[in-house]
Amino acid sequence: MSDALKSFSFAIILGIVCSLLLTTAATGLKKYQLRNIRIDRQKNILKAVRLLDEKKTYTADDIETLFTKNMRVLFVDHTGRIIQPDNRKPGDLPIWLYGEEDTVKAYVVPVDTNGLWGKIRGYLAFEADGVTVRGFTVFKHSETPGLGGEIEKRWFQKNFVGKKIVNAAGKFVSIGIAKGAVKNNIPREKRENYVDGISGATMTGKFLSAGLKDILRNYEPVAIKFRRQQCGKVTLCQ
Amino acid sequence: MKFTRSSTYKAISSALWESNPISKQIMGICSALAVTVQIKTALVMALALTFVVAFANLSISLMRNRIPRNIRIIVEVSVIATLVIVADEFLKAFMYDISKQLSVFVGLIITNCIVMGRAETFAMSNPPGPSFIDGIANGIGYGSILLGVAFFRELLGAGKLMGFQVIPRSFYQAGYENMGLMVLAPGAFIMIGLFVWLEHTLLKD
Repeated sequence: MSDALKSFSFAIILGIVCSLLLTTAATGLKKYQLRNIRIDRQKNILKAVRLLDEKKTYTADDIETLFTKNMRVLFVDHTGRIIQPDNRKPGDLPIWLYGEEDTVKAYVVPVDTNGLWGKIRGYLAFEADGVTVRGFTVFKHSETPGLGGEIEKRWFQKNFVGKKIVNAAGKFVSIGIAKGAVKNNIPREKRENYVDGISGATMTGKFLSAGLKDILRNYEPVAIKFRRQQCGKVTLCQ
Repeated sequence: MKFTRSSTYKAISSALWESNPISKQIMGICSALAVTVQIKTALVMALALTFVVAFANLSISLMRNRIPRNIRIIVEVSVIATLVIVADEFLKAFMYDISKQLSVFVGLIITNCIVMGRAETFAMSNPPGPSFIDGIANGIGYGSILLGVAFFRELLGAGKLMGFQVIPRSFYQAGYENMGLMVLAPGAFIMIGLFVWLEHTLLKD
């Protein structure tokens, strides 16, 4: 056998062995990984509605029980009607409700938008007034660690709490990420609609602001119903 | 034969001290800066790297007489990459939170020059047994610095060790403050620099 042929066959055999190993590992562990991902999402939803005590650690089972006890996933259509999962049509948007059937305390919308380097995914929770942000979490992103990556940190996410998505006149304006600190850069009357930006991450802020605006616009019909207090009882929204 | 004269002991002590991969050979600095904010992440990273170096060394050493010289680097990289992905999949399945914190750095073990370096300089020319031990020894050497740096960074930066508060609340009430620098990457840089300096000074005598 010539040297070149030897190298080729060696490379091919090694390639097959390596790929077999990888396939076994990936398929064998998939079940566990998917469960972890599911628990992580549930944890982030619970974090967004601030049901988790930051100082406590929760096991996977704790999260699952807390989630099934408190949260219900439903869908909203383009007119803002709330739909049971069984009756959903393509194009309906998911929404998570916190509370009982007739006393909704908060609702959560999923955030899935472009960032600077890749998708930013997380959850934004609102009080039942349809105006005030209750919490914000990010569970997946590819922003630069230390700069845009700060969006996953508590200090950044905490800024969202209590902010509003409508202006003083009650018109929808979404929520924006300011360039720098809100109190130095944003006029007083708009401060309720902005959160502090991250220095060195202007672009991440821009992408996130634009993404949140698009998402919240899609959810505006249901938010309006919450604002008119029609959704405090889910039945009235259906 | 006394244990201190065995080759195992020599391999470990040299990787821990005289030719420590981080503080003496200044390799693998990137991950050492990134994952040493907490002891927990540093420990998991050290274990993952030890697993990869040990088994990369073992498998490359087993194949060393058959690997064609002209494609040996490619072969080494494929073996290492496979092991790294297996380690990453395991972390994702059983230590999801830590794997999220380590993010890309587990994947980047592939490019860690300690792994390539040991495969190329040791495993290619030594039998499987010593190669495996050499891998473990270098993993320990890497881990020792990582844990050392993480110990000081977590203690000074967050007042915690392994996630437990060790600096009492009364200190904070008396005006003690956590050192913000230690949480950031430059803190690790300074810490590693101090380790390098300490070792070089002690070795000189």
